[in-house]
Amino acid sequence: MSDRRLPRLLQTPAVLLLLVWMLVPLSMTLFFSFIRYVLNNTIRPEWTTPSLSNWRGFGNYEFVLNSKDFVLAIQNSLLIVCSILFLTVIFGVLIAVLINKSFPGQGIVRVLLISPFFVMPAVNAVLWINMILDPVLGLQGIAVAGINGIVDNLQTMPVLGGFFSLWPDFAPISFRATQTSAYAVIMMVTWQWTPFAVLIFMTSLQSEDQQQKEAAILDGAGLWSQFRFLTLPHLGRPIAIVVMIQAIFHLSLYAEIEIVSRGNGNKNLPYLIGEFANNNIGAASATGIFAVILANIVAIFLLRMIGKTLME
Amino acid sequence: MGRIVLDNVTKSFGETQVIPPLNLTIEDGEFAVFVGPSGCGKSTLLRMIAGLEDLTSGNIAIDDKVVTEVPPSKRGLAMVFQSYALYPHMTVRKNIGFPLRMEKMSQAEIDKRVETAAKSLNLTDYLDRKPGQLSGGQRQRVAIGRAIVRDPSAFLFDEPLSNLDAALRVGMRLEISEMHERMQTTMIYVTHDQVEAMTMADKIVVLQAGVIEQVGTPLDLYNKPQNLFVAGFIGSPRMNFTEGEEARKRGAHTIGIRPEHIDVVASGGVWNGKVGVAEHLGSDTFLHVHDTGLAETITVRAPGEVTMKYGDRISLAPREDLIHRFDAQGLRIG
Repeated sequence: MSDRRLPRLLQTPAVLLLLVWMLVPLSMTLFFSFIRYVLNNTIRPEWTTPSLSNWRGFGNYEFVLNSKDFVLAIQNSLLIVCSILFLTVIFGVLIAVLINKSFPGQGIVRVLLISPFFVMPAVNAVLWINMILDPVLGLQGIAVAGINGIVDNLQTMPVLGGFFSLWPDFAPISFRATQTSAYAVIMMVTWQWTPFAVLIFMTSLQSEDQQQKEAAILDGAGLWSQFRFLTLPHLGRPIAIVVMIQAIFHLSLYAEIEIVSRGNGNKNLPYLIGEFANNNIGAASATGIFAVILANIVAIFLLRMIGKTLME
Repeated sequence: MGRIVLDNVTKSFGETQVIPPLNLTIEDGEFAVFVGPSGCGKSTLLRMIAGLEDLTSGNIAIDDKVVTEVPPSKRGLAMVFQSYALYPHMTVRKNIGFPLRMEKMSQAEIDKRVETAAKSLNLTDYLDRKPGQLSGGQRQRVAIGRAIVRDPSAFLFDEPLSNLDAALRVGMRLEISEMHERMQTTMIYVTHDQVEAMTMADKIVVLQAGVIEQVGTPLDLYNKPQNLFVAGFIGSPRMNFTEGEEARKRGAHTIGIRPEHIDVVASGGVWNGKVGVAEHLGSDTFLHVHDTGLAETITVRAPGEVTMKYGDRISLAPREDLIHRFDAQGLRIG
């Protein structure tokens, strides 16, 4: 045992540092979540300094649970994260399988595919909401106007015009509205993170055993069966990694939501925390603890699900 | 049934022709072994028969039906790969049953067939394990099981034993030979190991640079090699060759004599020399003899234990009737 002592001693500073790094913010958050702590209050100035004498028990948690935005924020967080995971994994697998075949210009195509990942989240959000999704000036507005123009022309045709006049005029969708801003966020983040999935899946596909494929061909497996029984199980672990990493990242989405709608009817948990933190640190901390719990539930749930369905 | 005919088959990769026009017939129930050094095209040929490689020209027929354009799975062949190519995410049961599942056979029928195959290969206890939990020999048997369940008209083996250790290899060799005796199905077996070829084959096809050098039974090839390449490739240790005076005396450009066809005599042998390295195997002793007046070192296989050691004088008497004679083009004379 004595020969273990030196290595342990040498590890201690690093371990201590990590513990401090993790435990101090967590315990401070826990502490703040149980006291009244606000940044600015002229009537009760004693609340503006964190202290045990301002103990509030589970009051902050109650306040958060009763606030009208909390359930919406949880729902929105889950909707956004799950949709992005679902879409990036599907697009990622499809694109990776597609560009795994060799074709001329492969190198350039791969670089282009990866490039959305290098765009900053805030820039990504500005580009999408203004240049692509804007109902008037964006690509969406132009495309809808173009389609409406074509339909208008068709309606003046002699015989078929009657049929086309039954068609409605298409209306562009405003993605800054309460009901639709979550979809805008999902679209832009999916666009940005699909390359990440593609990158991981592509490297994994390159390690796939070609003789297994040939054996499967001889065994009578068609392209779909090869994909279903060989490629997909082979991608099981990378899919789990992509899902896990993305779940962690997207639970904390902030910039996109701020830019698309300023949280107008479209808050997620981090955004709600940010709003509370404008003044009410106690409530923000309680929300933070809820977010930690939610993140853990999501992680465990997703990993279980993936483990079961893919590792047959 | 499983009579396979290759008719003027060629294969080119880009500009390089790896297999010039080649004709070969493998009879139903025959155990044919393709043997040759690395890169001689034997695996390519096997993959062409399986349908994994396209033919550049020519035709392949199985049971008198041309299958050149038929996809691999419809040719009724089963292949065992060098790396076994088992599906790592499936249990042994699912691995063996996979080809049947692809044929959309009923689950009951699949189970029955898998059980039968597993029993014949001693795999019953391992059916619910994954390939990663099996030893090399067991994996090999699973790969063979996956081939057997399809009831193919011919089995194709692509160097199936080269990933196994020496002892296991001998065991699997026997198992495959026994399987062939029992099933009487056509088998095509690719190997670079001439011992495997000699011990297993009904018919050996010796290939070099995509060209068939000789086709025949193991003993045909041993007793009457058609050219220098076959003579040198078949037999272990290698045949001794010499050119020059000794060859001219016997009316040939090159003569060859196998190590086991040279006797060690007390005196008055044809060649006299000095013993170099002596390799004692117990049953035989391989003597490498120098300074015989010939250009090359001569290998002699002396039966039993020989007390000769490094530097001893030795006299050698080749059995004249077993000397192989070759002309200047390397072709057999007589």
